[in-house]
Amino acid sequence: MNNVLRTCRGFVLFYNRQSIKSVQRGFHSTEPCLDKPPKVDVVSVDSFNNVKEKNKKTFLDMLKVYRMEKYRSGHVEFINKAIKHLDEFGVNEDLETYKKLIQVLPAGKFVPQNYIQSEFMHYPKHQQCIIDLLQKMEDNGVIPDWEVEDMLVKRFGPRGFPVRRYWRMMYWMPKFNNLSPWPIPKPAPNDPYELALLAIKRISSIDIESEVKVYKTKELEESIEDTWIVSGQSPDQKKIVANHPDNIPIYIEGGFRIWLRKQSIIYFILRTEPSPAIKNEEEEDEDDISNFRVPFFDKPIPKKSDKIAKKKTVHEQEDGTIIAVAATGTSSKNSLLSWIRFLEKDGNPRLTHIPILFTSKSPLGNVEPLSELDESKKEVEQSKQKVPIE
Amino acid sequence: MQRVKTFAEVLSRNRWKGSLGVYPALTDWTRRRGVHTSATTLEFHEYDKRSGYDTGFEIAETRTERIRLGLQQLKKEIKLWKKEVQEVLISDPIFEYRAGEVDVFWRFYEESSLDHWIVTSDSDHAEGFSKCDLKIGHQGYGLFHGNLCSRVPKDGRIQNSGYCNMITKRVSKSFQRDSFLDWSPYTHLNLRLRGDGRSYLINIHVSGQFDIMWNDVFTFVLYTRGGPYWQTTRIPFSKFFFASKGRIQDKQAPLPLYRITHFGITVSDKADGPFQLEIDYIGADFDPTHHEETAYEMYEVQQNYIIGT
Repeated sequence: MNNVLRTCRGFVLFYNRQSIKSVQRGFHSTEPCLDKPPKVDVVSVDSFNNVKEKNKKTFLDMLKVYRMEKYRSGHVEFINKAIKHLDEFGVNEDLETYKKLIQVLPAGKFVPQNYIQSEFMHYPKHQQCIIDLLQKMEDNGVIPDWEVEDMLVKRFGPRGFPVRRYWRMMYWMPKFNNLSPWPIPKPAPNDPYELALLAIKRISSIDIESEVKVYKTKELEESIEDTWIVSGQSPDQKKIVANHPDNIPIYIEGGFRIWLRKQSIIYFILRTEPSPAIKNEEEEDEDDISNFRVPFFDKPIPKKSDKIAKKKTVHEQEDGTIIAVAATGTSSKNSLLSWIRFLEKDGNPRLTHIPILFTSKSPLGNVEPLSELDESKKEVEQSKQKVPIE
Repeated sequence: MQRVKTFAEVLSRNRWKGSLGVYPALTDWTRRRGVHTSATTLEFHEYDKRSGYDTGFEIAETRTERIRLGLQQLKKEIKLWKKEVQEVLISDPIFEYRAGEVDVFWRFYEESSLDHWIVTSDSDHAEGFSKCDLKIGHQGYGLFHGNLCSRVPKDGRIQNSGYCNMITKRVSKSFQRDSFLDWSPYTHLNLRLRGDGRSYLINIHVSGQFDIMWNDVFTFVLYTRGGPYWQTTRIPFSKFFFASKGRIQDKQAPLPLYRITHFGITVSDKADGPFQLEIDYIGADFDPTHHEETAYEMYEVQQNYIIGT
């Protein structure tokens, strides 16, 4: 056993002196063991903390070290300890690791032999610890496969409580796995650029015609910084800009937050005042039949009627008309300025004539304060919270 | 007499905990049993509908105070009762449920529309650090917002943390009689909202008479797009699945739409950070082409000796 430890110590573990000291004292032993080698826990309480490089390989190595011992004991303690460190090692969404953890328990040892054992939770602590492991899998959205069933049946029999739990998971988890109308790849990307693409595509999914474009600020001559801009705009929105009057300003609002599973991205919108609501001049009382109009004999309705109005697009909401959506790499004012320049070039030439204002407040909900906007607070206050950039 | 009373009070207050350790004479026989590492549960049934969680309602200490509060309440209850009698006499039921017409149950437009709602989070019971609030936003819509935090307080008892919840008050008639909402003519839940990309949970509570039915909830996920656009979500009631105390139940059943007691929205998706959900209305509509009662399998699997599954 010591040989095993010596070989393993080099690449994963180092033991703190204290634990070895206490072992050398023979603190727990009931009989003096002078000739025997000192008893050392293969994986001590701190051993997961003491690993220098925390990744999947070292985690599996830890399990291997434990499995190499001839007389394994303390399975439950070991698995419970390992479950707590799954997130740290970045293996919480990895099915293989979970399988390896189940394999820490020996097959065939805990299988109930009769009805009573089967129904009254044979080896309760062992079963409970695997149930906890399955719970952890469920929380992290890992769907088990048929191999897991085999492993559990081999360890707890076909009616073990972990097996029942596994069946429940296999019934419900695939039902909810692909339910979201805006699916996010699994595992979700960590790169903010990829996330921004996903986020803007998700927001623009309201209008199937919208195009998501990526601009590089380097391509602009006057830009100061080098970053990316992911922008979404549809032909309908371009039409709204084309028909926009000169005297009504357009606001750059943000940053708002959108969540993609466990990560969030800050995005900005280009918004104007809402277009006037469609109203009929005369409110007609449909129940009033005193002045009944017969279409065959009476005068026809004049062609210039206010009863027919153009249907509003999805972008024209009651709290504002949304013209474009974007997320930038730096979320800075400069990058947003470049975004407007790109939009001007890309089919919105009228933006040059319309006043564009940065606002630090939005009617569309809570705005995340930007560091840069905070710095320019004084300016904002002077100009009544609106900073003209034109 | 006074001592007996205080004893009874202490007992009843701590009953839900399952710990009889408040009175030494009672615990003597448990002490003799040796070492216990886990809490013993000697009871099957529950005493408290709220499982011991504080309601936050102030109850008067002295008797005179209690009488005073009771009389104040009586005035309100009689007013309510009068309204109920009037409603019965006027008798204006909906005769026809037309396809595509949304009947709105809760609309958020003024401060008084928040009176129906109770907002809770784990920090209210010292079980976490989430904070949330429900208010009327700038534009006159309901804004359910806050900060979700899944950090677990280190008290050795709590394993999971991080939820914020909004729920309607228990449906009741005058004199605090329990009542139910009847949504049986409808087939779909219909909400208009603007979320932040998180997925929320819609809970339709159907609390029953007995203690095992107190926590019956039918739940479904509410996916939000996120972004500046409003979305209208239509969820068939048949999709709601049966859960109790946060666990999906093995035996599913169709949602009993005639006896709804609460309606709630929860956020607990383990993504730490701010969240916001703007709600315009919560309603339901009738779709004559929708015949599904429940989307989940109802057949029974032959199992010879697994109890309760």
